[in-house]
Amino acid sequence: MGLNYYHIKKNILRARKLVIKSTSIAGSGHPGGSFSMAEILGCIFYKYLKFDPKNPTWEDRDRLVLSKGHAAPGLFSNMAVAGYFPESELETLRKFGSKLQGHPDLKCPGVEFCGGSLGTGLSYSIGVALAAKIDNKDHHVYTIIGDGESDEGQIWEASMTASKYKLDNLTVFLDRNFIQQDSYTEKVMPLDEVLNGDNISEMWKDASRWKTGDKWRSFGWNVIEIDGHRIEQIDSAISKALATKGLPTIIISRTIKGKSVEHMEDNPAWHGKAPDKDVVPLINLELDSQFMIAPSIIAGDMTNLENEVKRCVNGRADYIHLDVMDGQFVPAKTFDHTKIKELRPLTVIPFDSHLMIDEPVKHVRNYVEAGSDIITVHTEVCDESSFGEIHDLLKQNQVGVGLAINPDTNLPEWSYKFLPTLDQLIVMSVVPGKSGQKYIPETHDKMKQLGPILKNHNFRGYIEADGGVNLENIGSCFEDGARAFVGGSAIIGQSDVRQTIRDFRDQVLKARRKVLIEQAHQLGGPDLVNKWIGLHVVGEKKDQITKIAKEENLI
Amino acid sequence: MSDMRSEYSKTLIQIGKENPNVVVLGADTTDSLKTSGFGKEFPNRFFNVGIAEGNLVSVSAGLAASGKISFASTYAIFLPGRAVDQIRNGIAYPSPPGKKGLNVKLVSSHGGLSVGPDGGSHQQIEDIAIMRAIPNFRVFIPADTFAVSKLVRLMANEYGPFYMRMARSKTPIVHSENTEFQTGKGITLRDGSDCTIAACGITVRMALEAAETLQQEGISCRVLDIFSVKPIDGDLLEKAARETGCIVTAEEHNIFGGMGSAVTESVAERYPVPIHRIGAQDMFGESAREDEVSLLLEKHGITSFNMVKQVKEIRGKKL
Repeated sequence: MGLNYYHIKKNILRARKLVIKSTSIAGSGHPGGSFSMAEILGCIFYKYLKFDPKNPTWEDRDRLVLSKGHAAPGLFSNMAVAGYFPESELETLRKFGSKLQGHPDLKCPGVEFCGGSLGTGLSYSIGVALAAKIDNKDHHVYTIIGDGESDEGQIWEASMTASKYKLDNLTVFLDRNFIQQDSYTEKVMPLDEVLNGDNISEMWKDASRWKTGDKWRSFGWNVIEIDGHRIEQIDSAISKALATKGLPTIIISRTIKGKSVEHMEDNPAWHGKAPDKDVVPLINLELDSQFMIAPSIIAGDMTNLENEVKRCVNGRADYIHLDVMDGQFVPAKTFDHTKIKELRPLTVIPFDSHLMIDEPVKHVRNYVEAGSDIITVHTEVCDESSFGEIHDLLKQNQVGVGLAINPDTNLPEWSYKFLPTLDQLIVMSVVPGKSGQKYIPETHDKMKQLGPILKNHNFRGYIEADGGVNLENIGSCFEDGARAFVGGSAIIGQSDVRQTIRDFRDQVLKARRKVLIEQAHQLGGPDLVNKWIGLHVVGEKKDQITKIAKEENLI
Repeated sequence: MSDMRSEYSKTLIQIGKENPNVVVLGADTTDSLKTSGFGKEFPNRFFNVGIAEGNLVSVSAGLAASGKISFASTYAIFLPGRAVDQIRNGIAYPSPPGKKGLNVKLVSSHGGLSVGPDGGSHQQIEDIAIMRAIPNFRVFIPADTFAVSKLVRLMANEYGPFYMRMARSKTPIVHSENTEFQTGKGITLRDGSDCTIAACGITVRMALEAAETLQQEGISCRVLDIFSVKPIDGDLLEKAARETGCIVTAEEHNIFGGMGSAVTESVAERYPVPIHRIGAQDMFGESAREDEVSLLLEKHGITSFNMVKQVKEIRGKKL
């Protein structure tokens, strides 16, 4: 089974937008903590949780307990996306008479726990898990606690209790976002270590200072530590937790409060504050502009691809792009599914398999079984029938579906019917076949022509720019609409992959900031631009955005 | 004399046999509360969570949310006295559609001043006030072991949150096997026309003694067991007010917020008559050895002697 990456990701995006919409309409609420756990909830809801929105009291359902109850908008939004109630109902959040209370409440069918008073949800989950044991039921209890919440002594009472009763049907996520109401957790009440100064990223960088895992281990728990915004890591952690017998599991998830909206990220001010209505369209645009960096390992040492994968892992790549060439569809030959299968155990980072092969329909199953998370085939070697077959096979196996077009190919009309469910469209900006070519400038025009077609046919996937993408042109590729970027020699060819990927991200961020303030200018002139800039108070973001605004004459 | 905790344990084991959904939880006082007997009988339905009362309450809530009938027990001072947030937000507030609160029964022992030697830190004189103020909770104070056994059964059969407070020491029997206990219904133990004493828990026996003394002096005193402090039996109290014209309340609890307050509120709204409240006069208790508990109670006026005195006084204030 694949990761179901895009399905999860799309739903997380929808849920994030609903958090913004609902808290903005309500005029209050907690977007920060809703966003830090967004990927955790997404992965639980859309991959693991057994539930039936039509029958919320189904006895064998898994239980999801949101102990950090103030993140209710995050829970409610996901429940709407999952089909418990119409999304429009979120407009009643915190309103008199609504079942969507300020904190999770049993008034809303499907909510398992009345949150609000911190520190109690883990004990409650223990009760739920004990009941399942008494009844010999095999449903699972997922509980999300906060790091600020871990100040509460009852968390540790509960920790001992779950361990005593060997509750392997309980998996806890610690949303470790380092921020609580007053300030950074390490200032208010350190879980890891006292933070001197204001730079929270210092804590992030230095794993030797993390003590939280040791605390839980010493309390008898199975401890897994992950980056809580990486779907593949969450997925892998849950599957390990489910396989662990005889003790409870805690997944310590390092997260960023307000994740995905720059001005909210790592900013304690957004713990419990709703965005103003006039910036909502900008936030939505920002949310729509998430992007991925995908190094292509064939640009490295073909004799040691294992090492290239490791470099991608160390470099914090979002995907690993695997160019499969068969020597027929393209002149060159690289590797086939057997190599992918060998590389698969090295990492959980999604494998983005780009099949530049003849008759992909005959081979695609091998690539599914090899462990690809996304498989892209070329329109030039597919037709409606064969792609239909590929599409269905991939969807059934929770593998992302991609379609690619060469520089001299237009998107064929037969593909339009697949656009609404297509996850990725690779627009080649070099003639495929070998690494190290230059970006074909005409691709920009092609992207502009593609835009309306994709929009008209409800394409909601990611456009991946592939071929000759580098630091100079990545910004313009972003402006064209690309949201995934394959980097060949420009990344893998560099000695410091991690720094290069960081530079790639910075360039995209810069382009994104520009797009956002242009939009702000269009919607509300210099006033809205200034307001938008004013929201960015953490780090150097404000100066950088001001600089862009001045360059573009927007203020 | 009979022991409430033994009766509690015995009844739990009986209902545990009848109903597989009954679970029992304790917090390192399971020998004292005698709930460990249930644990021996049903080890997989018995949980000792250690000295962690908030945890005790929240775990009970989770079990109840999953269809169990949770009986959670420890000393009164550590239950409402310590875990009020978990009780309020974890049991009373969460209401599944069509229901009020979760199906948890909090049963405490060592209520009031009669706890004795452990001293003021362990003498809970505020629990009725606390529990009465929480919506969806019903509050029972049994006077003897018949009451304990019947009320435990009643709580097991009736959905929702209950608080029941037992006394530490052995109590004399005031009811019989045939006494009926209903939520919200008081019990008239002795009829009378000149005055009413409303009592609960250990003061019921004292009230009966006081009525006997008063009878010898020609004063006809009615005695009510207001074991159901919430909901309270407004009809019975109104009737007593109309027919006897004055009421003395007696409890081992602070006079603020306890049974006396509940009676006063009800009577004041329906048929105001003079009321005197006997109880801790907004003072804490203190240590008293087993044979000195009566001295401690006497210091706070919780005696049949004081009841007689109050009845005589209040009769002069009749409207």
